[in-house]
Amino acid sequence: MTSPADTRRHRAPGSPRASAWRSLRLLTVRDLKVRYATSVLGYFWSILDPLLMSLIYWFIFSQLLPRSLGEEPYIVFLLTAMLPWVWFNGAVGDSTRAFLRDVKLVRSVALPRWIWVARIVCAKGVEFLLSLPVLVLFALINGASVNWYILLFPLGIILMGALILGVGLILAPLVVFFRDLERAAKLVLRVLFYASPVIYGASDLPAVVAPLAWANPLSGIFALFRAGFFPDQLNWALVGVSSAITAVTLLVGILVFRRSVGGVLKEL
Amino acid sequence: MTSSHEVASPSGASQQGTPGAAPAIITASGLGVRFRRNRGARRSFKDLFAGKQRRAHTGEFWALRDVSFTVHAGEAIGVVGRNGQGKSTLLKLVAGVLLPDTGHVTVHGGVAPLIELTGGFAGDLTVRDNIHLTAGLHGLSRAELAERFDSIVEFAGAEGVLDTPFKHLSSGMKVRVAFSVVSQLDEPVLLVDEVLAVGDKAFRTKCYRRIDALLTEGKTLFLVSHNERDLRRFCSRGLYLDQGELQLDGPIDDVLNRYNAEHNS
Repeated sequence: MTSPADTRRHRAPGSPRASAWRSLRLLTVRDLKVRYATSVLGYFWSILDPLLMSLIYWFIFSQLLPRSLGEEPYIVFLLTAMLPWVWFNGAVGDSTRAFLRDVKLVRSVALPRWIWVARIVCAKGVEFLLSLPVLVLFALINGASVNWYILLFPLGIILMGALILGVGLILAPLVVFFRDLERAAKLVLRVLFYASPVIYGASDLPAVVAPLAWANPLSGIFALFRAGFFPDQLNWALVGVSSAITAVTLLVGILVFRRSVGGVLKEL
Repeated sequence: MTSSHEVASPSGASQQGTPGAAPAIITASGLGVRFRRNRGARRSFKDLFAGKQRRAHTGEFWALRDVSFTVHAGEAIGVVGRNGQGKSTLLKLVAGVLLPDTGHVTVHGGVAPLIELTGGFAGDLTVRDNIHLTAGLHGLSRAELAERFDSIVEFAGAEGVLDTPFKHLSSGMKVRVAFSVVSQLDEPVLLVDEVLAVGDKAFRTKCYRRIDALLTEGKTLFLVSHNERDLRRFCSRGLYLDQGELQLDGPIDDVLNRYNAEHNS
């Protein structure tokens, strides 16, 4: 099996044309444009989903039930993890169709293949960034206090992007061979939402299930997103373990992708 | 199986210049691609956990096997063969949208692939957006595109529909826009897969003229077609593929004669 590493270079060396990054940007913009071109509300859809979810959980856990989870203000606590979760959920869900959705494009344009996955990470990442004003708004309304750990927010974004890319690089090619994976992924994502510290904090977990938080790279990443408002959520050991798991996921993703991409192109 | 054609051909005889003196632009050596015969049948989860040796390899066949050739800048190559003998597969390998299982193909410089023409276009976006996107993905810089945008639009005759969503165009117009963009890429190699058969007669004539012009400029053409007239018109050299193997690499007339003799069409 020829590995894609020795993929032919079409451009003469030194040619300014067709850098992979430019193609990535073009495809990201294309994804966003297609998404927004087809709906009147456009941008608001990408905020509406996490906002509605957050409001529902806020209502249940701080108005209906006596709450012992998370921290005050609870709506800000929810949003700091909900917005990144929507990025993760959307991008991983979409990456199962990374090749299948634009099959003709993949069959007619010779780009470095990882771009087909990366553009999904980027498009959903841009939607995530665009949804951040909601967080700012609710933080202002509720008078949430901000500390210097807010500077860890970009680190959270980088780790999240790397994790999604890793998962996507594993999922995208395998779905082409094993179509049932698409459904399996949706199921796993639904379970993962409750298994991740979104509506609760990693420290709220009873000792029995604590290993769960350590095995889930999202715990450390959400901790980074939350630290700027809730410094008690920051557990450096957890962040370290999550970063390590993210790195391993990305590495496995690259290996799986390289091994399988030749077969994927034949299958399309 | 490397071609000796360019050595044998009298230099300067063809309209495409002197292949013998031109540098190699496409080099293929030992190209092989294996497909599974039962392409429709997806593997199931069970296979995922089965060892590699336990997976059946019996349903596989070689779509291309040990194909080697060298193309020099300015040549016009016609690929000949019956359906399913590996013509399009070969074109995809040269375009870089399929990876070979054995051997390798090197293209020095970019290719303008007239394959799956309208595939890259997003139906919900306007024609203008689509032209920008497709040209960009094929490596045209913003400045280069700005320069050529008008002539792309004019060639396709799409002045009136620039801001119409692509999906609302007629299928003929879709192909015209796509052909117009890809043929303006100014890449040294042009790959054509049967697209000449589409569009109305006036547009077909326009396409022919465009390809003639590109050939005169010294571009390299790689044409897959069943149309003998097209092949004889554009190509000087032919590759005859049968059962995935390169049976003959020589002047287009020899290749067509052999093909006709073997398949008495």
